[in-house]
Amino acid sequence: MRKRNLISAAILIAIGIGYAVLAVQLPTRNIENATGPSFFPLVVVTGFLILAAALLVQAMRGRANLGAVPVLAKISRRTYIWSLAAAVLYLVALPYLGFIAANIPLFAALMILYGEKRTVWIAAGSIGICLAIFFVFREVFQIQLPAGILGGLV
Amino acid sequence: MNPDIIDGFTQATLASTLAATAVGCLLGLVVGMIPGLTISTGIIIVLPLTFVLPPDISIALLLGLYVSGMTGGSFSAILLNIPGTPSASATALDGYPMAARGDAGHALGLAITASFIGGLFSFLCLFLIAPLLADLALKFQSPDLFSLVFFGLTIICSFAARSLIKGLLSALIGLMILTIGQDPMMGTARFTFGQVNLIAGVHFLTALIGLFAIPQLVDNLSAAVRDGQGGTSRARIRRILPTLNDLKSIRLPVAIGAPIGAFLGILPGAGGPIAAFISYDYAKKLSRSPERFGDGAPEGIAAPEAANNAVTGGALIPMMTLGIPGDPVTAILIGALLVHGLAPGPLLFLERGDFAYGIIFSFFWANIFNVIIAFLGLRYLVKVLAMPKSLLMPIIAILCVIGSYALRNNFFDVYVMFGFGLLGLAMRWLDMPVVPLLLALVLGRPLEEHLRVSLVASKGEIDIFFTSPFSLFFLAMAGLSIFWSLNAERRAKKAARNEMESKQ
Repeated sequence: MRKRNLISAAILIAIGIGYAVLAVQLPTRNIENATGPSFFPLVVVTGFLILAAALLVQAMRGRANLGAVPVLAKISRRTYIWSLAAAVLYLVALPYLGFIAANIPLFAALMILYGEKRTVWIAAGSIGICLAIFFVFREVFQIQLPAGILGGLV
Repeated sequence: MNPDIIDGFTQATLASTLAATAVGCLLGLVVGMIPGLTISTGIIIVLPLTFVLPPDISIALLLGLYVSGMTGGSFSAILLNIPGTPSASATALDGYPMAARGDAGHALGLAITASFIGGLFSFLCLFLIAPLLADLALKFQSPDLFSLVFFGLTIICSFAARSLIKGLLSALIGLMILTIGQDPMMGTARFTFGQVNLIAGVHFLTALIGLFAIPQLVDNLSAAVRDGQGGTSRARIRRILPTLNDLKSIRLPVAIGAPIGAFLGILPGAGGPIAAFISYDYAKKLSRSPERFGDGAPEGIAAPEAANNAVTGGALIPMMTLGIPGDPVTAILIGALLVHGLAPGPLLFLERGDFAYGIIFSFFWANIFNVIIAFLGLRYLVKVLAMPKSLLMPIIAILCVIGSYALRNNFFDVYVMFGFGLLGLAMRWLDMPVVPLLLALVLGRPLEEHLRVSLVASKGEIDIFFTSPFSLFFLAMAGLSIFWSLNAERRAKKAARNEMESKQ
């Protein structure tokens, strides 16, 4: 945990400095007794930098290690990277493909990721549920979800 | 009688509102009992629905889900020894042993009954205290409100984090994110980088979906949880309704749990798990036979269940009267109200008294439906525990995307949601709590507005925060909260060091 605290404190300090630089550059207006747009961000970032520095000091002295080291899902790094890449691909494709065409492969991929192995179940589940969700939102809740490339069909 | 009370009762008793409350309760029981799904996630799933429903019906639905989610959590705690929600952790201590010896129905019946009594007690607290607190809060000026919000933030950080520094840092990250968009006083664009979609700022609900749902989806990938899917209990559910003797035996633990839960619910950040464990501890200490605790004592189920359901009404008190959320769920309720142009706070009782009382009575009905649906549908509801994660998790993922999109019909919000999901994962990796960040997103705007308005009024002098008695009181409480949590952290570290030394 000490290493994580050191890394996070360093990253947080860098973010804080970047934010402070941007805050200082915000436009100001000379109105008597009024605080400008940069006032609150500067107050916040001052506290942020002080606390990030305190975290760094704590980590260097090995005093910020309370309890067990948190563990994310116990899956391989490769699965993490593939999942992230697939999620990014989905997000990029979503506006073009629309909610049905983009959601079906996402749903199928997630079913596999969560342990489903039966091909028929995966096909039926992904197509059936995605279509059902799309039409329930459109027809029942009146929320128009873009159909994308399937716009002419549905 | 106050006409708003009658109007509120009428509003909450309309067939459509009652139906929404009942549906919310049903969903809450289902969501609550599924390990790996929190009440917040359940609310996220139904959130897109609330955008198209009238505010009274939306809130009734969400309240039903909130109340029943607490009760539902106890079902899997009792049947599988896996708490459906963190608040049900203490229930598992005695609930599971009782189920294991063949008394599952009895344990579930006690949990439902205690939840009902705890919920009703907190309804009374809400009904009696909220209007009085709202009246008092109307006297608050900007400096008082700033100090109050500041106090709310410090107490949330201290409760929500094992490390105060990390809790405060999380809140400050939330405040930094909040400054994206137009400055509330002058309308100047801040940190938008020329991106039109950022001018209105980051929507709280988008952030919430990402911060809660994505880490939970990743969590459920974990083999341990995945293996738990389809974890149907072998325990047979026979008699559910408690007898008169059962009710007598849980009198004391319920009487302990309900006020503790309601009180801790009022404190922002304390929440159900703390209330449940404190009540369990007190019930054990005050019991004539404390040695039975841990082996399936009815009192060990009743005390935490009364407490965690009493938390719900308690948490609604600061939310409705001061606009300060007590936990993530009440923060979402604030977000849902804001979507409909209604801002919780003292003015809600003044300007929309009927609506405010409508919420209170919807909460009452939620407790009634909770007990009815839980008792009548228990045998069928527990079958949900067999639902495969391979179907549930993809549905949640799709609904998160749709929920983010439907908020403003904008794909940009879907990207923002995903970004917050990654932030949530990073924060979990760093052992940094996300709740302070989330609540800072709710409280940040009033914090900035009241700070700046106060400074304009005082011509830049910060004395203004120390001259008003209310402001001074809240600042003193904030100082006390920070001191208390620093002390608690120091003691925890010392205990951990002693434990390590004794092992060596």
